[in-house]
Amino acid sequence: MTANAAPAPDHMPPPRSEVGVIGWLSKNLFSGWFNTILTLISGAGIALALIFGLIWVFRDAEWGVIAQLGGRFIIGQYNTDLACPGNNCFWRPQASLMLVVALLGMVWGMTRDDVARNVALAVGIAAAAFAFLPYGFDKMGIDVRLLLLANLPALAIGWALARYTPLGTGMRVSIAGVVIFILTLLLLRGVSWLPGMQPVSVIYWGGLMINLILAVAGITLSLPIGIALALGRRSRLPVVKILCVGFIEIFRGVPLITLLFMSQVLIPLVFPENFPLNSLARAGIIITLFSAAYMAENIRGGLQALHPGQAEAARALGLAGWQTILFISLPQAIRNVIPAIVGQFIGLFKDTSLVYIIAMLDIVETGRTFILGNPEFLANAREMFVFLAVVFWIFTYGMSYISGRIEDKMGVGRR
Amino acid sequence: MSVNANNQNGEVAEDIIICRGLNKWFGNFQALKDVNTTIKQGERVVIVGPSGSGKSTFIRTINRLEEHQSGDIIVDGIELTEDVHNIDAIRSEVGMVFQQFNLFPHLSVIDNITLAPIKVRKWPRHQAEETARELLERVGIEEQAEKYPNELSGGQQQRVAIARALAMQPRIMLFDEPTSALDPEMINEVLDVMRELAYSGMTMLIVTHEIGFAREVADRIIMFDEGRIVEENTADEFFDNPKSERTKLFLSQIL
Repeated sequence: MTANAAPAPDHMPPPRSEVGVIGWLSKNLFSGWFNTILTLISGAGIALALIFGLIWVFRDAEWGVIAQLGGRFIIGQYNTDLACPGNNCFWRPQASLMLVVALLGMVWGMTRDDVARNVALAVGIAAAAFAFLPYGFDKMGIDVRLLLLANLPALAIGWALARYTPLGTGMRVSIAGVVIFILTLLLLRGVSWLPGMQPVSVIYWGGLMINLILAVAGITLSLPIGIALALGRRSRLPVVKILCVGFIEIFRGVPLITLLFMSQVLIPLVFPENFPLNSLARAGIIITLFSAAYMAENIRGGLQALHPGQAEAARALGLAGWQTILFISLPQAIRNVIPAIVGQFIGLFKDTSLVYIIAMLDIVETGRTFILGNPEFLANAREMFVFLAVVFWIFTYGMSYISGRIEDKMGVGRR
Repeated sequence: MSVNANNQNGEVAEDIIICRGLNKWFGNFQALKDVNTTIKQGERVVIVGPSGSGKSTFIRTINRLEEHQSGDIIVDGIELTEDVHNIDAIRSEVGMVFQQFNLFPHLSVIDNITLAPIKVRKWPRHQAEETARELLERVGIEEQAEKYPNELSGGQQQRVAIARALAMQPRIMLFDEPTSALDPEMINEVLDVMRELAYSGMTMLIVTHEIGFAREVADRIIMFDEGRIVEENTADEFFDNPKSERTKLFLSQIL
């Protein structure tokens, strides 16, 4: 062995301009006089907006209007004398919420997954935290507060059911989800023959409740319908193809508001007279179909991006056509378009507030009509809409968070 | 693996693939022109020819990834027609390995291999996994079972693809340029697996440019040019004593 003269080190530290806060700043914000000016101007703009925004939020804004409306944001006129004579219906939306929390607990218990855990805990704890709102007992009774607190045991029970009983399989939890959704609707709607469960017409349903009901129904139904439409559009059978293309183009080509208006006059034509289809169901059908048309195109984009070799390899292994679609094409296509699908879900959730057009008081309309009807709060419209924006943002951010974590877990973009 | 060694034992082997008067068009372009050949069970046939000569199209018609428009193909006694049952029956008897591997990127290696046995052959999962692990051992990558395809090198991916095809216990294996997409240092690991398979008595049709490999394992070489078979000969004869001028030209260009 001859001695190596000054061997080159295996690893050299990167130059100073590549690392550290200073390096990052000079590279990204102050590279050249033009970028420096832009940085200073936009920095000043952001700082001013922050300062005035915070001053308004903490000093000038009067948030009393939000407290004044309180539970109306969540359930609208559901628990008024008008909707529920005798005024004892408050427990029904709360029991529905508990069922939903229990379902989230089941999903967590079944998957033992940290995303499911975070979502279940966030919803359960937020629901329970409402019990500590600083209202007097005359406005928010001890019974209401106890039922809100009961969301925590409901979460635990759901978790334990999925964890320690045979209920904890994907199929059974999915069935439980459908059952709980229907049960929720039944509970809210009521039945005439059961004491304490008098019917509450959907025209009194309102607030965040109907936004969520429409969004959940729309999201869970528009995905499978969209998949079916996307596959139909790629079908080799001309009739199927034409029907799917026609459906997609019609529902994409008409504004949702127009469709909602039409739903009031057109959908009743399709069903027999006296068919018990209320305005909420009609709005749900329209929103679902509208969203499904867009969903179909998202999925089709995902299918078209697949390498034809994937389907060839599956067929060459002897998989039937439907198996190839179910096990090879669709999972990859959906994985690839998760961002578009979630964007569609978020859009759908926000669009649910358009049902105000058919006289349903969703959370936005609840707030708006309250201000219009109570002129003393006219000056507080700003607070109202800022609050509504935050509520929507919390839910849509929740969806982005879940989808982002799902993408991470599936290794989207990596494999 | 069932070993069909009768060919090597000198017994009369049955005809496993029969092609008669095969024609295939892509639009106006005729990709296969009156192709006639018969392949016996246990035979290793290498198909060579310049690009666009129809060699890939030919082996893709054998499991009907491409439809032929006229002529007959009879695989393992089943004639390839429009009949979906026949096509599915043949596809589960014929394994195929592609140039681009075509592993399923959303499934782990073991799931790639067990998918078809579970869904098509209706094997219970444990049996399919057991077989899959044996096959992975056979192709020398049993430790990669839980990884995803993109975490493997090209050579490893192609070996998984071979294991995946073998998991259906096919009687025939088709190889469509299995080493063409590989980095040079990975070609041999795939050829080693194919060599082992060839000596186990599998009926193999291989489209390849690996002339050394062809010479070593092939019972017969088929040379395609412009959609036709221009020469069909034993490996030694084909390389040492080619009959057609086209073969001589082709060999002079690649050797």
